[in-house]
Amino acid sequence: MEVFESFRMAWRSIRGHRLRSTLTTLGVVIGVGAVITFVMLGASLEGAIIGDVAAGQSPAMAVSAQQADGQSGPGIESGQAVFTEHDIQEIQSLEGVDTVVPEGSVSLSGVTFRNQTIGLRSMTTTTPEYFDATASGNFSEGATFALGEREVVLNDPAATVFDTNVSVEDTIAISYSSGETVDATVVGILEATSTGGFQPGGGVRPQVYGPTDPFAQSQLTSPSTGESQRVYSRLTVIATDFEQVDAVAERVRTYLESESDANELLPSSYETSVQTNEQFVEQIQNVLNTFTGFITGIAVISLVVGAIGIANIMLVSVTERTREIGIMKAVGFQNRDILQLFLVEAVILGLIGSVVGILVGILGGYAVTRVLDLPFTFPLEWAVIAVVVGIVVGVVAGLYPAWDGARTDPIEALRYE
Amino acid sequence: MTDSTVTETTHPSETAVSVKQVGKTYYIGQPVHALDTVTFELPRGSYTAVMGPSGSGKSTLMNLIGCLDTPTEGTVVVNSRDVTSLSDRERTRLRGEEIGFIFQTFNLMPRLTALQNVALPMVARNVSRDRRIERAGSLLGRVGLADRVDHMPNELSGGQRQRVAIARALVNDPTLLLADEPTGNVDTDTGATIMDLFAELHAAGNTLLVVTHERRIAEHADRILHLLDGELERIEGIETPRRPTVDTGEED
Repeated sequence: MEVFESFRMAWRSIRGHRLRSTLTTLGVVIGVGAVITFVMLGASLEGAIIGDVAAGQSPAMAVSAQQADGQSGPGIESGQAVFTEHDIQEIQSLEGVDTVVPEGSVSLSGVTFRNQTIGLRSMTTTTPEYFDATASGNFSEGATFALGEREVVLNDPAATVFDTNVSVEDTIAISYSSGETVDATVVGILEATSTGGFQPGGGVRPQVYGPTDPFAQSQLTSPSTGESQRVYSRLTVIATDFEQVDAVAERVRTYLESESDANELLPSSYETSVQTNEQFVEQIQNVLNTFTGFITGIAVISLVVGAIGIANIMLVSVTERTREIGIMKAVGFQNRDILQLFLVEAVILGLIGSVVGILVGILGGYAVTRVLDLPFTFPLEWAVIAVVVGIVVGVVAGLYPAWDGARTDPIEALRYE
Repeated sequence: MTDSTVTETTHPSETAVSVKQVGKTYYIGQPVHALDTVTFELPRGSYTAVMGPSGSGKSTLMNLIGCLDTPTEGTVVVNSRDVTSLSDRERTRLRGEEIGFIFQTFNLMPRLTALQNVALPMVARNVSRDRRIERAGSLLGRVGLADRVDHMPNELSGGQRQRVAIARALVNDPTLLLADEPTGNVDTDTGATIMDLFAELHAAGNTLLVVTHERRIAEHADRILHLLDGELERIEGIETPRRPTVDTGEED
């Protein structure tokens, strides 16, 4: 029998048994709808929980140059300034990289405010994104500096180390170790509780942060461009999301060990290192895995329920049509024609059920997220999976009843009342 | 009433169905011989009735000739093809093309119209839709139901339903029309019109085998096969078969 003919006959049979077809479709609708609703709820909960857990955290990794024998621990001071502007641009263009924040240090002799001088060995030069991208803490006053301006940000210990507390708009004098002294305007003060995060050395000692331009002084000739460029001892690379962290770290590592300027400029006893906050990333990934498992579990249960529903009704349908199967076999329909007919019917019911189920599921998921006041997330890939699975469930659930119908003995079937 | 020889010698192409030494044994705890060494031939264009009490093997014989079942012994040859050597698939194909079934309970598809019911066997043979509608329509006209093509079976009387079933049996131009108690579920008058239609079909050259327990119905045939306890007891020739006097010769 031609496939088109079996579609016509199957459709006629579906319309002919309205109640039964509706119930079968309802089984699929509930199955697929439940999957979509729960998946959406799961995705929304996941978003909310990740948002809570990851508050103030970013999917960052620290890139630095350290002594190969590991004598010196990681830290700003211990790093060699080998990462050029060219390297920063190259890393920025890697897949999955959101931002690259350079970080260098300038040797100082001290900082003077209102004629009181305190000794400070170095200041950190970076870009304005530094404060957003790293866990350096929030501003208690003011905001970040602008590139190209003589502006600085102080952390809380630095602002309170003087007799009079430094506040925004004040001017401090910065004395380089070379003896030169420049004035700078304080534009921001960081909060005292600069805990958490993985910035070593942050939060406890007095720190002065200034823009790379004009404060950064170390320059080297970039081996790849031949130009004299600023170099930094440390980079913070931010990935687009937590799941990307490991992959991005690997890409950065590969770049640094091959064609980077840093590789050329690095003293022989040093090597570049890319460090991620493994513990935190792992924690986030555990949460994600738990949710994926939860969602999959719910989805499987829903689909099994739907599949049993279809199989049940299809079996009833075969029994109910035993006599019709007998007639069809008597007039020359082959076993596989009967099989095809029932399978096509199951596929049509599965398809209709899936489409309606998606709509019901989206509405349900939307309602639930609204009631629970969660962010509305629609996982498109799950919708596609639900339709495909709905059809597959239709076929699989229809397979046994169809096979059962196909092998019906026509003699028995014609005698069946 | 004359006894004739059990085997008739006819040219193969003149034989529609040939049943040779056929036996069917069921094993329900112990062997039950439903049919035992039955042999006869149905010449092309013949009109034969099968009679016998219940349990005599009528249904088994019909299932065997109708290619719904295979014998445990002997051979059944339909239109020069040995049914016993065919695969299940080939037998189904042969059944669809060579046998037209007419049942006591009509066995129409309840959710198909008269036209769709008649066209159904052609769907299995992948006949085009236009050709199916044309053929089914013309056959319904032939059985006198031209104005009932779009009616569902439950909108038709018993006699009309049986005529739809007869049109369906004819649709593939079969070698043999096999009728099982065709008048069993209709009243006497309707039964008479159905037997009239059979007479017309016989006159038009169709081969008919009618299973019945009513002598009155069986006497429409040229001869009657009497079955008893699974054995062919005797073959009775009818000198003057009952034929409707009014309708005879109307068929072209």
